[in-house]
Amino acid sequence: MDLSQSLGAADIPVEELEPFLAETAELTQKRRSQGRIIFDRFMKHRAAVISALFLIVLFLFCFLGPLFWKYNPDLIPDDVVTSRFTAPNIVHPFGTDWVGRDELARAISGGRVSLLVAVASMFGALVFGIGIGSFAGFYGGIVDNLLMRFTDVFLSVPLYLLLFVLSSTFTDGSLLSVVILIAIFGWTTAARLVRGEFLAHRDREYVLAARTIGAKNLSLMFRHILPNAAGPIIVNATLLVGANIILEAVMSYFGFGIKAPNPSWGNMVADGQGYFDRAPWLVFVPALLIFFTVLSFNLVGDGLRDALDPYMTER
Amino acid sequence: MGRYIIRRLLQAIPLLFLLTIFMYTLLHLMPGGPTGVLLNPRLSAAGRAALIASFGLNDPVWLQYLKWLGRMFMGDFGSSFATYQPVSQILALRFPLTLELFGWALLLALIVAIALGVLSAVRHRTVVDYTLTTLSYFGLSMPIFLFGLLAQDILGVQLKLLPTSGTSTPGLVFDPFNAFFDHFLHLLMPMMVLSITFIAGWSRYMRSSMLDVVKQDYMRTARAKGVSTLRALVFHALRNALIPLITVVALDFGAVAGGATITEGVFNWPGMGSLFIDSLEGRDYPVLMAILVLGAIFVIAFNLIADILYAVMDPRIRYS
Repeated sequence: MDLSQSLGAADIPVEELEPFLAETAELTQKRRSQGRIIFDRFMKHRAAVISALFLIVLFLFCFLGPLFWKYNPDLIPDDVVTSRFTAPNIVHPFGTDWVGRDELARAISGGRVSLLVAVASMFGALVFGIGIGSFAGFYGGIVDNLLMRFTDVFLSVPLYLLLFVLSSTFTDGSLLSVVILIAIFGWTTAARLVRGEFLAHRDREYVLAARTIGAKNLSLMFRHILPNAAGPIIVNATLLVGANIILEAVMSYFGFGIKAPNPSWGNMVADGQGYFDRAPWLVFVPALLIFFTVLSFNLVGDGLRDALDPYMTER
Repeated sequence: MGRYIIRRLLQAIPLLFLLTIFMYTLLHLMPGGPTGVLLNPRLSAAGRAALIASFGLNDPVWLQYLKWLGRMFMGDFGSSFATYQPVSQILALRFPLTLELFGWALLLALIVAIALGVLSAVRHRTVVDYTLTTLSYFGLSMPIFLFGLLAQDILGVQLKLLPTSGTSTPGLVFDPFNAFFDHFLHLLMPMMVLSITFIAGWSRYMRSSMLDVVKQDYMRTARAKGVSTLRALVFHALRNALIPLITVVALDFGAVAGGATITEGVFNWPGMGSLFIDSLEGRDYPVLMAILVLGAIFVIAFNLIADILYAVMDPRIRYS
């Protein structure tokens, strides 16, 4: 107001200034960090946001659940005959199983196992896949050829046949063995993906620039190229967790997965199957948990793809 | 193109070779081994030794492998440890069943997926599109054996519409029409369940490639010339939109020789997949190796076919 007065324009009403100011406010965008941009873009994918929230709740449910839900998942009550196959009620929201164990407590501890297995094997697969893929993509030529032929061996056996051979060879039903096995499975896709990214990036200017100032090959690969290739890898990792949960369930279904006494959602479905006509919740509870978890991981993966890949046209 | 195919075929040979070594080693690393599973515990020591020798299990593993490899090149996959039947005979019995299941499931999936994909693309960002997208996410997130269990319970047990397992009703009075119809009824449920995952995946491909095509200039040209919307979609757009899908379908079909393990397991369908599971429990090396080799050949072959089809369908793609 001071300024306009000194310019002799005191008669300009304030109201007229406002639309102009509003317009400039729209034009000047707030400065956003790249992380913020990605976050904002992710938040626009509504299904992905809901899924992400669901996953957070699910992780809390599985890892903090035992603090609030005091039933022991392994405790077989003394009155087995009367307390088994209790349909879901207030005391047992998910009912009880064929020896009277509380199904909710088992869903919690089974979920812990399933999520742990899926996430751990995702990391295993990623580390292995990035190792193989980055060397193949960066060095090219004979290294690439050898490593990719090695990958092809895995890819050319029908998926489940290889899975079953490997599981009957290497697993004893313990957590670690199943994690390693599922990781063996996931790394091929990761390796191909990372290789592709490295092939695309290694001749870019920024790599050349880094090389000019004396960066060694290893540092070029893991400090310069890898962060730039992170987008697709993160998306792949998210989808992989969902796929791993299904793989674990399939293995359990055929009797190769996590073995009792450890419950996992997969072996809970497989065990509950036998009592399906009597106690359908024993199948539905773990099955629906698997379903919603995998669905959420897929949707979050989708949202991340939209957020991390600006070239993807929105569909 | 010819040179490309030849080069790919030549590349497949060392790959297959590596694969047999890899698989043979893996199988022999399995705990238990065929002797533990197959031999009658009341067999005398001499009988046991003779049987082991007849299986060729006395030799060191590398020699067993070489012998197996040599016989395989002659087209002889050996005989099953469990039933003494020649492996080729067993496969001749099982493979058609898997092919039948797979073939029909793929055909059904193809028709439904194309229809849904096109519908979804044409009704882009409408309720139809969103519903179909949601459904396909559901389909992709559900383990296939759950679909199987649900279908068995609802269609088989509750509604008693379809038989839940096997390939035919035992004790059925045989006459050709009845037998055929009975077999068809048994096929229906596993076929539908198997096709669901394919439909969920393929309809997504179809939708996105259709969306790409519909935006192209030649589509506008066709409309401007007065071609009706439906005609433009079916004759101008669909043909080009099918290219990516055909590749994916070829890749998926490559899994056929391995069998639809899960579906076959759930519905007790005696195809390659259930044969594999049974043989795995019995440590029946000859059968297992035959399925693995056959499975790998199919995967490699259909990978190549997918690449070739890609170039055939789209003249812009050239392989050097």
